[in-house]
Parts: sequence; structure tokens; C-alpha cells
Amino acid sequence: MKRTRANNHCCWILSSLLLSLFALLGHQAAASPQQKSTKEELLVLPGEAGRLGGRLVVSLRGEPKTLNPLIAVDARSRDVIGVMQADLVHINRATQLTEPALAKSWKISADGLAYTLVLRQGLKFSDGQALDADDVLFTFRVYLDESVHAPQRDLLMVGGKPIAVRKLDAHTVHFQLPKTYGVGERLFDGLAILPRHLLEKPYQDGKLGQIGSLATAGDQWAGLGPFRLKEYIAGQRLVLERNPYYWKSDAQGNRLPYLDELVFLFVPNADAQVLKFQSGETDMISQLGAENFSVLSKQQRGYTMVDAGPGLEYNFLFFNLNDLGDKTSPETGRKQKWFREVKFRQAVSAAVDREAIVRLVYQGRGAALWGLVAPGNRRWGNEKLAHPARSLERARELLKEANFSWSNGPNGQSILLDSNGNPVEFSVLTSSSNADRAKMAALLQDDLKQLGMHVQVVPLEFRSLLDRVTQSKEYDACVMGIASFDADPNPDINVWLSSGGTHLWNPSQAHPATPWEAEIDRLIEEQMSARTFEQRKKLYDRAQEVLAENQPMIFLASPNILAGAKNSIGNFHPAVLEPYVLWNVEQLYLKNGTENATR
Amino acid sequence: MRYLLRRLGHALFLLAGVSILAFLFTALAPGNYFDEMRLNPQIASETVAALRAKYGFDKPLPVRYASWLSSVIHGEMGFSLAYNSPVAPLLLVRARNTLLLTVTATLLSWAVALPLGVWSAERLGHLPDRLLSWGTAALLVIPDLALALGLLALAVRSGWFPTGGMASVSFETLSPLNKLRDLALHSILPVTALVLSALPLLVGHVRAAVADVLNAPFLLAAVGHGIPRRTLLYRYALPAAANPLISLLGFSIGALLSGSLLIEVVMSWPGLGPLLLEAILARDLYVVVGGILFSTLFLVGGNLLADLLLYCADPRIRTESSGQ
Repeated sequence: MKRTRANNHCCWILSSLLLSLFALLGHQAAASPQQKSTKEELLVLPGEAGRLGGRLVVSLRGEPKTLNPLIAVDARSRDVIGVMQADLVHINRATQLTEPALAKSWKISADGLAYTLVLRQGLKFSDGQALDADDVLFTFRVYLDESVHAPQRDLLMVGGKPIAVRKLDAHTVHFQLPKTYGVGERLFDGLAILPRHLLEKPYQDGKLGQIGSLATAGDQWAGLGPFRLKEYIAGQRLVLERNPYYWKSDAQGNRLPYLDELVFLFVPNADAQVLKFQSGETDMISQLGAENFSVLSKQQRGYTMVDAGPGLEYNFLFFNLNDLGDKTSPETGRKQKWFREVKFRQAVSAAVDREAIVRLVYQGRGAALWGLVAPGNRRWGNEKLAHPARSLERARELLKEANFSWSNGPNGQSILLDSNGNPVEFSVLTSSSNADRAKMAALLQDDLKQLGMHVQVVPLEFRSLLDRVTQSKEYDACVMGIASFDADPNPDINVWLSSGGTHLWNPSQAHPATPWEAEIDRLIEEQMSARTFEQRKKLYDRAQEVLAENQPMIFLASPNILAGAKNSIGNFHPAVLEPYVLWNVEQLYLKNGTENATR
Repeated sequence: MRYLLRRLGHALFLLAGVSILAFLFTALAPGNYFDEMRLNPQIASETVAALRAKYGFDKPLPVRYASWLSSVIHGEMGFSLAYNSPVAPLLLVRARNTLLLTVTATLLSWAVALPLGVWSAERLGHLPDRLLSWGTAALLVIPDLALALGLLALAVRSGWFPTGGMASVSFETLSPLNKLRDLALHSILPVTALVLSALPLLVGHVRAAVADVLNAPFLLAAVGHGIPRRTLLYRYALPAAANPLISLLGFSIGALLSGSLLIEVVMSWPGLGPLLLEAILARDLYVVVGGILFSTLFLVGGNLLADLLLYCADPRIRTESSGQ
């Protein structure tokens, strides 16, 4: 005890000396109220060193709703929380691999059931309070508490049982899993470690859901992220300032983040976002559509546009395969007979011109898709999966094999008939607010017309569409898209499993309706508890094959991640994982120093 | 007094009716706030069901209406699911911004429309009147959206005005005078759009009302007495033509909260428009109902004010209601 204190003292003098030396030399030392003490274990980031200071302005499509990670479900709140909070282990958005964050190291036991994480020493929340294992314990207790209804809880249930968390010492935490969990330490990504000193009282009073509104005073809220709350102006903007206690530094020893301020402007629509960027009122833009991207690329005035390649969003067509029981109308029954025929679905898939979708919908800035794993996912795609080119002949053969036939209509066009002589006609729902998917549906309509199918496109307001698909189940087919959060299959597990709520073509089944769904269930569940990446990949590859054979979802295309930034922004490297441009916000800097701040 | 009480009674009755209908229709709209959560593969359906129950969405409609009504009485106007907070403070902040925009625009458009309408009525059928009619007709057929987008395009091209929003990022650090300047600069485009879209109707009504009176015998007699033209028009003709204009003013006030919603969304003005649009799309029920109730309040208030003004301005109405 004595020795450590003496050591501390020595180092404190030494560091003070060094600091005054720096100050004398006019060197810009990291502005920190507490000078680096011996115990503070900063994470040193490699890469281009930047300049301190300045303000970065970005726009959000609408207002974030809360700063509280326990109740945030919308994308904008998550964007904001992402720069104000930190996790134990983090997935690097560029490499898609895990790396140490608040935990400097971790050990996994031989049986894969126990994880021991060691926290960095000397870290502080953005209000200057120290972080220790009790904060971690508290965080997981809150996440797992059923009465809190945190969306994180479902991620922490393994095989229906919660993960047990135990403190070993002030900086070591032990996690006991009820069953092996293939995702491993990726589990910890995105789980913000909460400040116990601020949240324990509201938690005991059962008021956790009511705190952390945007109107919270700056000193009432704290996190471990690079920025902390400064000011919120309802309907207009949220201003964050640098967290002086942030736990990362650059290779030169400057404490990150570089920026003094990060401002989120609330802009109600995508076109207004583009205008603001074009006129120089915002510094960066992301989640651009292909059209806006090409407009901005053509008239580049002091900014750079970047196409980061295909992202993790997958767009697909699916048919209504729900078992509606007594509620099945004769018409739906007749149509479902076609939809249940695997050769019918295969024929539709063969007739879809995916390249045309990429060309016409995404202006070439996208990738054709034959499976659930989007091309932006570096590790999990099945390379052996066939990518058959469009073939109407193949489609016709398949339909013939399934006893469909053709007759000539009054205008000489061919009409596809089923085995009972009924013409094949159905409608495809799309979200009216998503122009890309509406275009896809129109192209599908055209592709399928060439097979003699009469398809109607029905654009619906998004909630009404969701109501039809997930609740009343009154629809024929639907074009939809899902964007994965992570490259790992785990976040999409409810799409795969027949019991999952996002198993869209037939959600929340009590028992798998078909043998192939049963097989996918088995493969995915086995994969979740497999130990090595190779084992998991093999099982997951097979699941992708089963999906491709049976085509319950007919995959269409995946858009590229398009972004832009002023030339004066350093370290701008958009990633294909969310948050596309702010994932390295602590390293972003202004090349011309603080000029932007006074603009 | 009895007149006022009767009018107030009507107003309350109307508000109650609107609140029930608004509540009913928003509740009956397909889909609900939790649907989007259902589409998130990371959230289990049990969690969604638990949340629904927590906010009382599993209860029957009359029960929900009653609990909403009690929260209105407590000044909360229900609970926003998205913002996780009472609705009233959300609406109040934004209603203030909306009013800043619409009151300016309404005052400005009346200030322009009155002289323009009188001027045009005086030259009824002559070239200047015709030119003005064509001009207002052209403005009338341009949709508000196109008008707003055109103005925004102008802002981007010229760089003279900010492209939407209500204040600069550095607003808080400005001196009071510069704050005012910044605010004015930001409001020029939306106010222009609102004035241009309101003007044709107002000018048309003023013109018609004044033109009607100009042919009246009492005015011809006044002309015969050699009263100067300006006095004639503004002292005698305009008050006589006031009745339809006062009703129109009532509507103008009624539209203060709801008239600028579209312009606000297009121009990123932080008023009720963006909030309500988002709430409708997200099925944030109580925010929508609260917004409707707020603008109904204004409509009812505007009409009430117009009725009272008419009562004062027109002796016929006074005698009619006291005769009853």
C-alpha cells in the first residue's frame, strides 16, 4: 500500500514536470482537468494523428428521442447514444472484428462458459466519477431485470436463461453463461456501461424509464463515450462537448476525441439533409440514396463523396406462407397453394433480373443478392452459394414441372394458369415511404409479367404494411428490407428461427411448419453453441444453402453505403456497419483547426 | 353576455367532439407504435407485448380515453411513447416556434392584402386589376410544396439565405441584436412561402367585398358630397365591407397552428409540423391527438373572436341576438 502511494507520488511529480515542460515549449497538451495519473490505462489508437479543437456538425433525419440506452429503440437515439456511451468489448466497424474497449483483456474458459473481463484502471465517467466493477455489475443487473423492459435483455438470454455476472475484484468481472454461445465476446458490443452513481436511485424507485430525456441537465447525465451532453434545443439541435475523461489517446499521447463539439442538427427529411450539406451548413452526410449521391458527386464543391461498397441491408420478396387455419379465405387458400410450391418460388427467383435492380434502383451502387448474408459481410457469406443469372427458360421449366400452364389472353399476351386453370394473379405490398423498394416492386412486376403472372404493386404506409404482414396477415407477397447490425449471424437469429418474430413469411411458429425450416432451426441453434468460428461457419453455410434451395425469401439486392464529408475533415473513413461515419468519431478532426467553429 | 356564453358552450362541445373523433381515428389506424420494434430481430416479441401492457395498450378504447382525459385535466395531455415524456411540454415548445412563424406571416399577408384588395377593387375590370387577378391566380395554382422547394433551391443557389432551420448552430453565442438578425434571416423563406400562399385568397376576398360596397348608394352619395377618395375608401367603404373579412380573419387565426405544417416540414422549421408528421408515421397516438386538439383550440378560438368582433362591428347581429 505504502509503496504504491510512493510510486504514485513519484510519477505525479514526474508527470507534472513533463507537463510544465510541454507547456513551456508551447506544445498543446491534452486538455484534461485531471492530469494523466499513473493508474489511468488509456487505449492508444494507431492511425493518423489529428489536430485538437473545432466543431463538427452533422444532421440527423429527425429528432432523437432519448439519451437513455435502456429505452432507446429508434436509430437516431442509438446514433447519439453511440457517441456518448462505451462498451466493454467493441466491434471495430472497419475490420468487423472485436477489440478491447473498457475491458483491456478477457479470458474464455476451456468449456466456453465462463468469461473473465479485466477493466482498464483509473477510468472515469464523463462527470469525473470513477468506473469500477460495481458499475458493470449494476449495468447487467439492470439490463437483465425483467421489469425494466430493456431491449438489451433479449441479447443477454442464452438458451432462455440469463447470463450470471459476478465481481472478482474491483476491476475484474466474471460472466457465467448457461450454455456455450458462439458469438463469444461480440456479445458485449453495444452494451453501454451505465453510471451506477446516477442510476441506482432511479432504479430502486422504479423510475429508470423516465430519466435520460433530451432535456436532462448536462451534469445529471454521464457516460463513457467520447462526448457528453452540453445543450439540447427542442426540435432544433443537440450539442455535445468533448468528454475530458475519455479513455483513448492517439499514438502521440493526445487524449481523444480531437473535436471540442459535436452538433446534431434535426432535419425532417433526406432532401433537406442534402441541401444542408450542399450549402456547407453540415460537415458530413451519410445514408444517402444513390440519386442524391450522384447529384452531390457531380458538383463537388469542397467535399469528398465516398462509396464504401455494399452494406448489410438485404432487400427481399416473400410470400404469405402463414397457416391461417379457419380464417383462410378461398382466394387466399388458392394463392397459398402456389406460394407453398417450392418450384413456384424458385421460378420467381429465376425470373428476377437482379442486375437490372442494381442498375435502375441503385444506379449501379449496390450488389445483387442471392442469400441473406449481404456482400458487405466479410466473414460469413457462403462463397459456394450459386449466383444463377436470370433465366426465363429455367423459370418456365420449373413452372411446367409444377403443373402450371399458359394460355393466350385477349391481347395476345400469355397468361399463367395453375393446375385448376385459374390465372396466377397476386399483389405485392411495399412501403410507400421507401422509393427504392417501390421501384424494386415495379421491376419485379415487369419481370414476372414475362412469365404470364399478373402482379399488382400496392404501396402502403409503413405501419399499415407491418400490421398486414405481422398482425392480420392479410397479404399475398411483400417487398421488404432488413439492415443487420453486425456481421455476426446472431442479431438476425429471429429471421432464421421458425419461432422468431421476424421469420417474416410465417412468424412465431410453435413448431416448424416444414422439414426445411426444422433443419434451419437445428443448424442455427447448433451454430449458436458451436465453439470455433470454423464449426459455426460450416453450419451457417449449410443454413444459407437450405434457404437458397427453398426460397422463402427471394433476395434481390443490397445498396452500397454512400457518404460524404467536407475536405477539411480528417480521418473520414465510412464503414459499412452502423454508425457509418461516426464509428471513429473520436479520431475525426478538422484539418484547418478551429476554423469551422467560428463559422 | 348570453351571446358569449352560448358561443363558449358551442366551443366546448366542439372540442369534446373533436377529441373523441381524433382519439378514435388515430386508434383505429392500422399498425401501432410497437410494430417497428417487432421488425427488429434483436427484440423478442415477449418484450414488445410487455411494453404494450406497460403503456396500457391492451386496455379497451373507452378506458384509454378516460385515462387520457384525466391526464389532459392534469395538464399533461397524455404520454408520448417515442419521447417517453408527457405530451404537453413537447407541444408547447414547438407551438411557440410555429406561432412565431405564422403570426408574422398572417400579419404580413393581411398588411399586404388589404391595400392591394382595395386598390384592385377601385380599378375593377381595368388593366391593373386584371394583371393582379392573373398574378394571384397564378400564385393560387402553384402548390405550397413547389413554392417552398423553389425558395429553398434559391437559397442553395444564391447562398443568401440559410437552407431551412430556425437558428444557426452558433446562435447561443451571438449578441441579442445578432440573434434577432439570425432569426429574421432564417424566417424570411418560410414566411415568404406562407405569405405567398395566403395572399391570393385574402386579396380576392378583400377585392370582392370592397367592390360590392363601392356600388352602394350611400357611397355614391358620399362621392357626390366631394369626400376625398382615400377617406372614402378606408373610412367608409372598408368598414362597410368588413363582415366577410372579419369571418376570414377568424379562419386566419384558426389556421395559425395548422396552416404551416407542410412548409415547416420542407423548411426544417422546428414547429409542430415535423413533430406531428413523425408522430403520425410512428403512431405516437397521444402526440397526434394532442396536436389535433391544439389546432382545434385555435380554430375555435379564432371563430369565437371573429363572432365577438362581428357582434361589435355589426349592429344587425347585436339586435338579432338581443331580440331572441
